[in-house]
Amino acid sequence: MAADLHLLGDRRTGGGERMLALALCVYVGLITVWPLGQLLLTAFGPGDEGQLLGTMRDTLSARATGRAFWNTLTLSLVSVGVSVVLGAGLALAVGLMRMPFRAVLSFLILMPLIIPSQILALSWIELLGSQSPILSPLGLAPAPGQGNPLYSRMGIALVMGIEHMPLVFIAIRAALKSVPADLVEAARIASVPPARVLARVILPLVAPSALAGALLAFTAAVGNFGIPALLGIPGRVPMLTTLIYQRLNGFGPSVAGQVAVLALILTLIAVAALALRAVLMRQLRMRIEGGRAFAPTRRAPLWAQALIWAGVAVIAILPLAALVLTSLVPAIGVPFSREVASLDQYARVLANAAVTRAFGNSLMLSGAAAILCVAVTLPLAYLATRRPSPAVTALDLLAEAPWVVPGTVVALAMILAFLPPLPLLGVSLYGTAAILLIAYLARFLPLVLRPVMAAAQGADPGLDEAARIAGLGLADRMGRIFAPSVLAAALAGGMLVVMTAMNELTLSALLWSSGHETIGVMVFSLQYEGNSTAAAAVSVLSTLLLLALCALAQVSLRGAGARALPWHQG
Amino acid sequence: MTRILMLSTALTGLALPALAQTLTVYTSQPQEQMTEVIAAFNEDHPEIEVELFRSGTTEVMAKLQAEFAAGDTPADVLLIADAVAMTQLKQDDRLMAHPDAPVDGIDPALLDAEAMFFPTKLITTGIVYNSSMVEAPTSWADLAAPEAAAQTIMPSPLYSGAAAIHVGTMVQQPEFGWEYFETLAEGGAVAGQGNGTVLEAVARGEKAYGVLVEYMAMNAKAQGSPVDFVFPSEGVTAVTQPVAILAGTDVPDAAKAFVDWQLGRAAQEQSVAQGYFPLVAGMAAPEGYPEADSLSIIGADNAALLSDGEDVKMEFADLYGG
Repeated sequence: MAADLHLLGDRRTGGGERMLALALCVYVGLITVWPLGQLLLTAFGPGDEGQLLGTMRDTLSARATGRAFWNTLTLSLVSVGVSVVLGAGLALAVGLMRMPFRAVLSFLILMPLIIPSQILALSWIELLGSQSPILSPLGLAPAPGQGNPLYSRMGIALVMGIEHMPLVFIAIRAALKSVPADLVEAARIASVPPARVLARVILPLVAPSALAGALLAFTAAVGNFGIPALLGIPGRVPMLTTLIYQRLNGFGPSVAGQVAVLALILTLIAVAALALRAVLMRQLRMRIEGGRAFAPTRRAPLWAQALIWAGVAVIAILPLAALVLTSLVPAIGVPFSREVASLDQYARVLANAAVTRAFGNSLMLSGAAAILCVAVTLPLAYLATRRPSPAVTALDLLAEAPWVVPGTVVALAMILAFLPPLPLLGVSLYGTAAILLIAYLARFLPLVLRPVMAAAQGADPGLDEAARIAGLGLADRMGRIFAPSVLAAALAGGMLVVMTAMNELTLSALLWSSGHETIGVMVFSLQYEGNSTAAAAVSVLSTLLLLALCALAQVSLRGAGARALPWHQG
Repeated sequence: MTRILMLSTALTGLALPALAQTLTVYTSQPQEQMTEVIAAFNEDHPEIEVELFRSGTTEVMAKLQAEFAAGDTPADVLLIADAVAMTQLKQDDRLMAHPDAPVDGIDPALLDAEAMFFPTKLITTGIVYNSSMVEAPTSWADLAAPEAAAQTIMPSPLYSGAAAIHVGTMVQQPEFGWEYFETLAEGGAVAGQGNGTVLEAVARGEKAYGVLVEYMAMNAKAQGSPVDFVFPSEGVTAVTQPVAILAGTDVPDAAKAFVDWQLGRAAQEQSVAQGYFPLVAGMAAPEGYPEADSLSIIGADNAALLSDGEDVKMEFADLYGG
């Protein structure tokens, strides 16, 4: 009992707080630790004939594993190159020069990150195909019979690079805001030419952040499923995430051992990159004197503005425009023109019960996930900041795991943990909506937990202490003092969960079942069936829904809450 | 503890689907068509709610096998491309006999002796081409010409049931055999995934020719896609899209109702409207199609198709990649 006392809190920790901590341990244990633990056990399991680590040895020696591993590693690296060139260029341009409509520009630059990856891939397919509604009239589309250039290794790297570019952009923009104005002014007074100010003063100051952003982009690329699925499967470029998907779909859970090893490799790459990032951040952090932050004074010349807008148009507007135009043609392969354009495709998909059900399912699941994540985060953040104990600190760390590892890995872990019938109840959750909800809860908890923890750390702990001395119970302290102080952050986190989960594909591609399809799955399977015009229409509808949610979040959240929204970090 | 109890109660609530008359159908027929089928079925049987899992025949089979291994499948009815896959399930004792099914008017040669599965339509595989790029080919041999082969895409038996039967049947014929597929591969022909990817590639003009089931090509043509379909002079290969009841079904009456309905007049007429050749004698083929009895169908040795199925897939994967 003494060890237990110590684990859940110190002498000042009350009984209610202990119970709460215990309940949270059970919750995180069930939805995170147990599934991921099953995955590790399976990966390290014996082979068919019981050899030690047999599953792992068999999988590692398979040719398909090697190919997918190298593709994942090399294409992710190339994509990071694309992300860094684009992200750094745009961040420096937007951060160092004054120009009109900067907020709009920042939002457009972040679009690739906000748009779900399967829709981004689809819109690029439409933009660069030989039937492209935008390039064909200009005579720039690939000649008939040439195939879509994106169904290739370079295509995957390019689109992933564009999708993750905002991660580098955000990191560099943040760093630019902390460059001291004094340094730049001193250099200017010493009449150092602007190019040298950039090269010798500003770039060294933002380089560590750029590197950190690049490593984040790398982790995201390694775990990306939507783009390799839509470009790599037809292009026959296997990546680890798609290999796991294809193996599980083609052979079923009987290959769970093999794919668990693939998942482990995927996790190791992602975690290694994040660990490297943590080390670099510590090593390269520079002591910069405080004081006035640098603000751009020079107005961007017209040619520079034109160049930036052209770049942003290519990245954020043209692909989506191609997607919209494709959704307006009556059948695949019909060139777009004003005469053929119609909304028939929309009428058809909205009359399709599976599509409307998918929208309902996604909204329900993402809404439920958001509410439950907020409900769990409040007591967890309360205990972690006001009554820290080893158990709660561990929970805070463990809760991050499903977000850090690639989504495909989480989905596989859920299958392994919840395919066998639950003890006592005797029902298997596999094939129900429950397994999707649990996966969403585990994966998206950090989206709420992080902003709430940040807000809780910033709030005054003295109030809670005073309330305790005044004799207020735990429920009152949490509900009337703690919750209001982090409410804005919790709401923002909840909105993020809804936006991310609504168009999610990585988890649902492996966990959906009849009657429980999601929007992401719908887009993917319509495209797969050879019905890309319908896939385009569903994508446009879900993108509109997403933008409406963004607008709602923007209007309803202010101050501390709004800062948690991705486009406020640009 | 209350918290855990509440959580588990909530989860069970989600886990148990609405009881009684929910019929789960696993199928390879396209999503939009199945939506129409279910709507028409519900006009006659409003009391039965139909849930759907749709994927390529090969993936549907893999999902079933996985669920059998895990203990049980939620599927009650199976509606997939080919009789060979059905025969395999029948041999594994996975299907339920339904001797009272209304099979009048269906060619007895297509019926299963133990009434375990029933043909619902005739689906033939021929050649689709992009009519804005090339002239119509006339035969399978035309595709093997080097300049045509380089512009040809076909569905993979690793995804599609119709493709599995097509390749299996073609390699049984002395005038084609694996040599035919080797010539195509050497000429630069490629394999996509299912029939959907073939239609996409040809309609978008990424490839000029494709091996495809007729209804997808004809439907796309009717909607305005720049494609047309050829029934090759050597003949077409065919599957019958059989329907069957799984032995473990918990709603046998609803399942029988669905099978009976599939074989009835309403469903057959809807099939024709969706672009399929009818199976029941005395019905006309869809507009623009040749009459079903005028088709020359390449005969297949079904026993060999069943026993060689895996080898055919392996051989094909060796030639065209996995």
